[in-house]
Amino acid sequence: MKEPIAVIALLLAAFTLPAAADETCNSPYTTALIKGQEDYVHVWTLGVKDWGDGQDKLVTISANPKAKDYGKVVSSVSVGSRGEAHHMGFTDDRRYLWAGGLSDNRIYVFDVGKNPAKPVLTRTITDLGEKSGYLGPHTFYAVPGRMLIGTLSNTKDKGGVTGIAVYNNKGEFVAKYDVPTGSGGDGYGYDVAINPSKNAMLTSSFTGFNNYMRPLGELIKDGEAMKKFGNTMVVWDHKAMKPTKVLSVPGGPLEIRWSLKPGDNWAITAAALTSKLWLVKQEGKEWVAKEVGTIGDPAKIPLPVDISITADGKGLWVNTFMDGKTRYFDLTNPEAPKQTYEKVTGKQVNMISQSWDGKRVYVSSSLLENWDKGGADNEQFVRAFNWNGKELTPAFEVDFAKEKLGRAHHMKFSAKPL
Amino acid sequence: MLAATACLIAPALHAAQGDERVAAPLQLFTPPPAGSYTLPPIQSAPRGRVVDEAGRSRPLAEFVTGRVTLLSFIYTHCTDAAGCPLAIATLAQVRERLSANPVAAGGARLVSLSFDPEYDTPDVMRLFSKTFEGAARKPPWHFLTTASQSQLAPLLEGFGQDAAVTEASGARRLDHTLRVFLIDSRGRVREIYSAAYLMPEVIVNDILTLAAEAR
Repeated sequence: MKEPIAVIALLLAAFTLPAAADETCNSPYTTALIKGQEDYVHVWTLGVKDWGDGQDKLVTISANPKAKDYGKVVSSVSVGSRGEAHHMGFTDDRRYLWAGGLSDNRIYVFDVGKNPAKPVLTRTITDLGEKSGYLGPHTFYAVPGRMLIGTLSNTKDKGGVTGIAVYNNKGEFVAKYDVPTGSGGDGYGYDVAINPSKNAMLTSSFTGFNNYMRPLGELIKDGEAMKKFGNTMVVWDHKAMKPTKVLSVPGGPLEIRWSLKPGDNWAITAAALTSKLWLVKQEGKEWVAKEVGTIGDPAKIPLPVDISITADGKGLWVNTFMDGKTRYFDLTNPEAPKQTYEKVTGKQVNMISQSWDGKRVYVSSSLLENWDKGGADNEQFVRAFNWNGKELTPAFEVDFAKEKLGRAHHMKFSAKPL
Repeated sequence: MLAATACLIAPALHAAQGDERVAAPLQLFTPPPAGSYTLPPIQSAPRGRVVDEAGRSRPLAEFVTGRVTLLSFIYTHCTDAAGCPLAIATLAQVRERLSANPVAAGGARLVSLSFDPEYDTPDVMRLFSKTFEGAARKPPWHFLTTASQSQLAPLLEGFGQDAAVTEASGARRLDHTLRVFLIDSRGRVREIYSAAYLMPEVIVNDILTLAAEAR
């Protein structure tokens, strides 16, 4: 009777699984990892009035140096309106890319599986507010057959109290989970990230619609409004989707990156307003948050806005918006990150994405429509760099202003089918 | 039996570039107890027809309602270590754990449904069923196929299961994302597992959670 099981056990001992990770910052449930050369970079782009059609759009750039159209825009799919295009994420089977609008509260689903060079808009989800009461779909984090959507705000008062909505891959609402407001929780939301082997889900916190849609110069002069930023992270039991602990992480903790090394039990984040790196780790049975580093001069408010961890968990890229710098931290000891490199990569920089092998780094320019700089400082671009471990060397650039595409924000990679 | 399983140990091919191999999913936590959490309905299991091991055409509903069902799509000549072999091994481990709980075992079933009807005929599925003592043990384990690709397609679409036929080095393979579906007695998908998520202890707790709902 046990013979089949014994044989299967032997087979499994010989076989192994793909690493539970994606090219460094996607959901660990996303399949078909691109560990070699990416062919395309998809850029979720916020429309600008009088720039082309003025609509939000998914711009696709050829990114393989062997391609004839390397560094060129190969397609652009407009979504019919302008609604603060921001972040996006693949479904677990990597066939579709979900992208959100922070002001129109819409979710756009693009087919990137059939032909990644020419994504097709296949579905627009418009019932997030109606179904969940949440506003501002930010993080799209795949779990099997579903998408977790970390949101920023709510439809009731447009403040920062919000939660996580769950949709199935067909675009149907499944459930909602409020970020806790008790036990020290402020209820604010931003990023979502899961460590499957620990059954641990972390959420971070930013600010609500009333703040992120205000002009930045006006906002920072409003003392009351500046109090309405998230100061917490929450540890969740992912299986049960229940919060288990609220961690104090002041200053708007944004992107969360788990170490991708199997069995590791820590994640890192950057607090935007305080310019601090925070480590979240399990000590014994308790999850704790520790301030472990400083990014630039916090007094100058460099505004760290995105981080990207290396596949081995030993390095971290940090983009700071205000000074336009891309910084590299040695994370060999995550308790004491050390900055080892910096370079001005633009007059304003926001997102940063790296290839799995760490040899290529992409930087985009736009933060939010009303937070981007003005005049000549309002560069809009995607810049690709090669990284040899010591120096970022420009590879190509697409000028999103010159090509009248819009404000370049989040980037995701895809590859041609093998 | 050896003929049936030998196909599983051919060199693995995978669509992912440079897909390195590591150990099976690590479970470094104690899962929440069965019944201490809820699993919201994700989607309905699709309607359609399947072919059982005896070659009879039957409604899929007979295999996804009335009991808590753990269903995976497989193809018997799959060579992707992170695909069908893992799914089959996991179902076998879940069955072994459930067999220690006669009440739960009596209210559950396992289903492996082929997405390669050309190769996986009822005869082939019957061989697998015999190997794994399909109906002879509790919970029962059904090895199903379909009459044609046109009969299979709406089932794949309905479950949201991707599958693409590719040719590599002269070998035909079906690229797919490993998904295992947990379906309640009313035919609603309540959990979906993938390679990073296939932890037998957790799956058994999920089955017990749904079984308790039905009582």
